[in-house]
Amino acid sequence: MKKLLVVTISMFSMFFAVLMVVAQPAAAVEPVKIGVLVPLTGIVAQGGLEMKYGIEMAAEEKGKVLGRPIELLVEDTQIKPPIAVTKAEKLVYKDGCIALIGVFSSGVGLAIAANIDKLNVPFLTTHVMTTEFYNLHPLVFRSGQLANDQTAVGNVKGILSQPELKNRTYYVIVHDYAWGHDGGERFIALAKQNGIKIYNESYDKAPTSTKDWSSYISKIKASGADGVYMVLITNVIPVFAKQAADFGLQAKGVKFVSGAAPGPVELEAGGEACYGIFSASDWSWDVNNPISDKWEKAFFAKYKTIPSDAAVHSYVGAMNLFNAIDKAGSTDPKAIAAALKGISFEGPYGTVRISAKDNCMRNDAVWTETVAAPENPFGAKVSMKVLKTFKAAELGPPE
Amino acid sequence: MSGIATAVDITLNSLVLGGVFLIVAVGLNIIYGLSRVMNLAHGSLYAIGAYTGYTIVSLGVNFFVALLLAPIIVGIIGLIIERIVIAPMRKRSMIYTLILTYGLMFFLDGLIKYVWGNEPRFVAIPAFMRETISIFGTHYPVFRLTTLVTTAAVMIGLMLFLNKTRIGMILKAASTIPEMVSCLGFNMNYIHIGAFILGCALAGVAGIVAGPLTTIDPLMGHEMLISSFVVIVIGGLGSLRGAVFAALLIGLVQTLAEFFITDLAMVIVYMMMAVILAFMPRGLFGEGKFE
Repeated sequence: MKKLLVVTISMFSMFFAVLMVVAQPAAAVEPVKIGVLVPLTGIVAQGGLEMKYGIEMAAEEKGKVLGRPIELLVEDTQIKPPIAVTKAEKLVYKDGCIALIGVFSSGVGLAIAANIDKLNVPFLTTHVMTTEFYNLHPLVFRSGQLANDQTAVGNVKGILSQPELKNRTYYVIVHDYAWGHDGGERFIALAKQNGIKIYNESYDKAPTSTKDWSSYISKIKASGADGVYMVLITNVIPVFAKQAADFGLQAKGVKFVSGAAPGPVELEAGGEACYGIFSASDWSWDVNNPISDKWEKAFFAKYKTIPSDAAVHSYVGAMNLFNAIDKAGSTDPKAIAAALKGISFEGPYGTVRISAKDNCMRNDAVWTETVAAPENPFGAKVSMKVLKTFKAAELGPPE
Repeated sequence: MSGIATAVDITLNSLVLGGVFLIVAVGLNIIYGLSRVMNLAHGSLYAIGAYTGYTIVSLGVNFFVALLLAPIIVGIIGLIIERIVIAPMRKRSMIYTLILTYGLMFFLDGLIKYVWGNEPRFVAIPAFMRETISIFGTHYPVFRLTTLVTTAAVMIGLMLFLNKTRIGMILKAASTIPEMVSCLGFNMNYIHIGAFILGCALAGVAGIVAGPLTTIDPLMGHEMLISSFVVIVIGGLGSLRGAVFAALLIGLVQTLAEFFITDLAMVIVYMMMAVILAFMPRGLFGEGKFE
């Protein structure tokens, strides 16, 4: 018995010794961990999933940073600021992530930014539109969806360029939280400066939980406004459009301009009711250039879902972050932040440069209208047709 | 649009909204009234009703057939839940079923996401219901009017069932004096099962009715559960008469508030609930039951 015990202990000792030797080289190629914060549950889950896909594509394409593999650790923010902060803390303190990327919703983005001193890692958002992100913190960056001020400039320029939109009176309705208010106010101020008529300067604020839009649609009907400017979460835009169509709003000639690009998957669900929505955004799959065409084909082949702007600007943002880590040559937060300033990436919608002045990106954008899709490899029935392209300098803000 | 047309719009919108609240809340009330189970998964069953209807319609089946089939399917799911989850806990404190149904809610939500995905879906309706009809100067969607008729038909049918049929009268009696019904030789177990199936089927009806009105998504049941709780708090827990009145009242208040003071619409609804809870804890008619 004693002999058996000695043999067993010896075998275990040898096993652990071998394990330690084997484990040694693995520690030498320890991956660079990046925390991905996206909503995977709740009303914007589809958008969150598309963001995750975009970041995954970038990681796969980049392969390594600092000569080490990239490991993405994905957490679901549930689009709730306190949960997002807890998940960010877990990613940084427990998992050892050296940077945070993603985030859908200005409220969530601002909550993480408020804790960034404590977290002490660079945070690059790819889907936060609030203008509060300009110069918010030395570790906080935006490389993604156009900000509310840039979207407002694009939309006002777009409206002025379309005779059928120019001389209308716009009824403004927004989602009742930081992003919606900011988006509505930016548009109203700029529209007034440019002679575009606004029906309700104190604009309607609808709770994000709104499912039945009939009361708001009745208000629009009663107002006599012939244009609607909506700053609604992307996934809700087709829902609103569909219900407005049920009430015959579009059939009466009312035109919609959106402060956010509608998600393509949701547009498909909305179908014909979603035709005729105008918006300024970074990209749509109707953009034709070799990089865009190649990217959207690769995206569709991998994920079997229609390429969206949420996916593409998350891809571009992630490439900017990975390149910045390489440029920094270390995982030091200040070094990465310094490298992110002024960095640029040539992607599906041209050069996306993070301004060294205010930490937020500058890039070209498009003015689109949702129409019946031409034949396409994605099987999409609705597409965001590109009507006009804006240069980054046109959209601002000036540097 | 004239003032009359706007008033018609608001009235019809409030009746449609109140009607959906009503069917969900009555289902919840029937389950509570007869078996003293506060089913927190009721909203998820409402969502399953909507998704089931969506699937049936997507398969090319007529919407009205789906309107009959979806509640039956949700009723069967209700039977399974009652047998597996609720029945073993019946003799225990209500807190057990409360916690269990809370967990069940997340399970069903996860199941919905697994089966149907995260993206919102729109239920296709027959062509004639996609039109609008002119009523006192407003163009109102035919589908919404159909919803109104459906809601009224369901409620009239339910009232006739409860008041004019033998089974219905037994159910009603069991909600008031269950001991007496049991002493008369009726198996309370069957009554509990029947109540649960009926309540779930009503959630299914509400789901398929509300689906084309708005849109369907995996979490659609959560907001509806909250709204139906507001209805049953105002109407009185377990009171059918109270639920009818409260649902219509909330539909009207919410619609008016959204129209006139948009930003505070939901605040007003919840304030109304808080006031009634404070001063009339048994609901508007004092018929609420507490365990």
